[in-house]
Amino acid sequence: MTTATYDAIVIGAGHNGLAAAATLARKGKSVCVIEKNNTAGGMARNTTLAGGIEVPEIAHLLYNLHPKVKKELGLGTSRAPLEVQELPAVSLSADGNHAVIRNGRAELPDGRPHPEAEPFAELMRRLTLFADLLGQLSTKSPPSLEGGLTSLETLTELAGLAKLGLDLKRMGKKDMREFLRVLLSNAYDLLLDDLEDGPLAGALAADAVHGAYAGPRSPGTVFSLMYRLGQGGGAQLPMGGMGAVSAAFEKAARAAGAEIRTGLGVARVLVEGDRAAGVVLEDGSELSARTVLSNTGPMPAMMLAGAEHYDTEMVRRMRNQRCKGAAAKVNLVLSGAPEFTGLSPKLAAGRLLIAPSATYVERAFNPAKYGELPENPVIEAVLPSLSDPAMTAGGQHVLSAVVSSVPYGLESGWDEAARSKLASVTLAALEKYAPGIGALVTEAQVLSPACIEARTGAPGGHWHHAEMGIDQILTVRPANGMAQYRFGPEGYYLCGAGAHPGGDVTGLAGRNSALQLLKDGVL
Amino acid sequence: MGQHDRYDAIVAGAGHNGLTAACYLAKAGLKVLVVEKNDWIGGAAVSRSLHEGWTYSNCSYVCSLLRREIVRDLELPKYGLQVIPYEGGASFSSDGGYFAYMSDHDALRREIARHSAHDADAYDRFSQTVIRQCRFIRPFLLRNAPDPTSLKPRDIGELLFLIKQAHGLGKKELGETLRFWSMSIGDFLDEHFENDLIKAHIAGAGIIGTGLGVYSPGTAYVLLHHYMGDVDGAIGAWGFARGGMGAISNALGACFEEAGGTIVTGSGVDRFLVEGGKVTGVALDNGDEYRAPIVASNMDVKRTFLQHTGQQHLPDDFVKAVKRFKIRGSSGKLNIALDALPEFPAAPKGAPFLRGDLHCAESLNELERAYDDWKEGRWSQNPYFDMLIPSQIDPTMAPPGKHMMTVFVQYAPYDLEVGGVRAGTNWNGQTRGAFADCVFDKLEQACPDIRSKTVHAEVRTPWDIEQEVSLTEGNIFQGELTFDQLLFNRPVPGYAQYDTPIDGMYIVGSSAHPGGGVMAAPGANAAREILRNIGRGGNMTGYAA
Repeated sequence: MTTATYDAIVIGAGHNGLAAAATLARKGKSVCVIEKNNTAGGMARNTTLAGGIEVPEIAHLLYNLHPKVKKELGLGTSRAPLEVQELPAVSLSADGNHAVIRNGRAELPDGRPHPEAEPFAELMRRLTLFADLLGQLSTKSPPSLEGGLTSLETLTELAGLAKLGLDLKRMGKKDMREFLRVLLSNAYDLLLDDLEDGPLAGALAADAVHGAYAGPRSPGTVFSLMYRLGQGGGAQLPMGGMGAVSAAFEKAARAAGAEIRTGLGVARVLVEGDRAAGVVLEDGSELSARTVLSNTGPMPAMMLAGAEHYDTEMVRRMRNQRCKGAAAKVNLVLSGAPEFTGLSPKLAAGRLLIAPSATYVERAFNPAKYGELPENPVIEAVLPSLSDPAMTAGGQHVLSAVVSSVPYGLESGWDEAARSKLASVTLAALEKYAPGIGALVTEAQVLSPACIEARTGAPGGHWHHAEMGIDQILTVRPANGMAQYRFGPEGYYLCGAGAHPGGDVTGLAGRNSALQLLKDGVL
Repeated sequence: MGQHDRYDAIVAGAGHNGLTAACYLAKAGLKVLVVEKNDWIGGAAVSRSLHEGWTYSNCSYVCSLLRREIVRDLELPKYGLQVIPYEGGASFSSDGGYFAYMSDHDALRREIARHSAHDADAYDRFSQTVIRQCRFIRPFLLRNAPDPTSLKPRDIGELLFLIKQAHGLGKKELGETLRFWSMSIGDFLDEHFENDLIKAHIAGAGIIGTGLGVYSPGTAYVLLHHYMGDVDGAIGAWGFARGGMGAISNALGACFEEAGGTIVTGSGVDRFLVEGGKVTGVALDNGDEYRAPIVASNMDVKRTFLQHTGQQHLPDDFVKAVKRFKIRGSSGKLNIALDALPEFPAAPKGAPFLRGDLHCAESLNELERAYDDWKEGRWSQNPYFDMLIPSQIDPTMAPPGKHMMTVFVQYAPYDLEVGGVRAGTNWNGQTRGAFADCVFDKLEQACPDIRSKTVHAEVRTPWDIEQEVSLTEGNIFQGELTFDQLLFNRPVPGYAQYDTPIDGMYIVGSSAHPGGGVMAAPGANAAREILRNIGRGGNMTGYAA
């Protein structure tokens, strides 16, 4: 039974779903966002642990929020308040010679320049230059190559790319050649060509494979490093936790006129005559709409509409998509502030990395390939409560840790024992840099990639909904022939991280898909 | 004081590419000298007698990539080259089973179906993709890699050719091609097949000779380097050069000498002579000097510029780029003289596939773990090997009734780790023996009586290959085949058309486009560029004329 008619229904109130809804609503469209969880935010939510303290549940830092999205949606204005604090990165070293990266410069903990500050600065100059160049592609739909290389449509697309080509030429021969050399190569070699294999190289190697199912020696990781450096490479701590970011997206969507319904998921997408017609909710009720956007992963989006609406090849491509999550989340409640050897309290509030060398990062990934846990994991930790009084309660602190190279498909299965092993591996790694931290732990929340999938629906618990390998980006994201957000039946769109340009809290996939939908004239 | 002979061109190194370049130059009317440090010619395409009565192809061991245009131009069969195709191959599992590969389509389909009906269906899709990609890439092998930063008509022309070829693929295949080129062989096979043994059998071709694992992106492309060749036009077929791989070099050498060329063996290049930014000749280890306005180095790019060229003649950026060029030794070899043909209990007696390439890898994970060992400076504890017994097809390789076995082993590091120190010098009698034992243990999975039939074995580590053949780190491709080192990036961006910062000096080995394998394409392409640059392009023989 039809209860309402919308121009568009968005499935999933992750930040991309909200960005899509806000973008459409701002153009005067009637939009309804359906979220199965009780709160919006997807992977960017806060959760309250048993002890009553609030923690950033999965994502904990903002890396790549796109300025265009920020501006268009008014994030950080009175309409959708958002306050952030820039954090330095501190790559920990067992000998206390930590490497601090602040505003793209390498320093020592006491503020003096790092011995490798110069080669590091040159490396960052090149990488951010290249990242900026590629960044041009992120705010548009990728070229679809529809009709081969000489059709009118493709030529128009290629004309759009001409600016990129021009900018590439403008970099000068030297940088252009370097760009074409490193674009598809591996981060490990690139870093170690110029840096010692220490914590500085380790930090960049860790960034190159953050949330990825790859080690830094895998070709293609220079691209993921550039993606990570899309907005300069800094990390921002949102005041009030990642939940505050989603709250800002939510406010922006509501302010634009979108409706958001939580607590009831979508069972399937209604398709009538090869056209999206609305959704059926989990309670059996129907909502009709002229278009539907899915913020789920690509495969779940296909299953919602029904595989029968796709040709065999598409189904096979979806099934073959690489989306094995390889990052877990461990949230620790501490009875007091921990002390890190050789770190001032101010630096301890930074983005802490356990990645003492690029080789360490590669080794950490080895066991994941065989479905095993790393003995010495790569960790990105942050103690939001040191910077943000709102995140502390009664002198307690929270350590939020992203543990990399934790396989979704753990050979032994993700049971309680596996989760507690992950917690102890994480603590053992932290203990090396913050002796005594284990004794401070009063509560631990361990989210394996399997838990992340269960909570958010992201396939494989993958941060980016689908691996950001060269074989799954741009024109072949999420799959060959589906690059421009149109997803099977007419009026059905993919608006999540599985679509171009990919993961991180950028807001771009949502925004771009909404713009593509408007351009397609299906409304 | 040494000699001061003058030539039109000197080629440093009598590997197959150096000889190929020399042949084309000599046939174009140039007075050409080839200098070679070993007492024999051939580089890594040689037939050696290291145990009386047996002949070892002790580096490269099978032939397919050698461009047929070059074989024709240089009339190599006239000089004794005969390539005999071999049939099929097999992978043996530890539980006594096997998967056999054969070139007859129906027989292969039945064999795959014996392991998995699903995979028998998938195989057609798989081979269509691979053949399509081979067809796409083959035209580029004998062309220049365009410089994308250049506006010269020829570079633009080559770029347009690339776009035309890509366009010819059609929309759907264009997307699939982008994907294929950036995928790992492991992921590509996982997409098609379910049977581990079949996957492992095919995957080997994606990693042979590289410093990459089966799950490293880019290895699907490496697979092409083993599928894009042909024997007498049968694409994807492999064969033995009768009399060993040296037959190729010897044919090239004979062709060269008949064209009027001179080969001097027994003393390598000590340094390239450069004056005022121009090359003037070479000085040999024995003190002899030879002069020529053109010098072509068949040595890899690192050896050429970091060991034998004065750094003052080279721009700093170029030296830096050469230093970071990745040439990683990742494979070793065992050449074994056998008293009799070993037994393969798993296979039907006299099965034709036993005359092909034999393996014992059982899963992609096993291959990936073999790679993990290598990254840490160890040889693979459970190594991958590509083993053949060419004497079954070519009786000239061993005395009557006896056999010769060649075992290519992946992975073996160049800088072996012992006690926390990684160095090539850690390869000694003891470590070499332990490495060979490890390979023999694994060979026993296929042929349990191998040790008792062995009368002599030559163990070749990457270190040995470097010492003898002067391939840096013993890397068989003269440089990793990764995208940062292919096409216009190979070997150095801006110097990808066989030229170098030194006037008159050229790179003609596999460090240059299109890369390694006994293909002879770099040598032929380089000769074409040299002749064009001296205004004698019209003198080029054959394919490029």
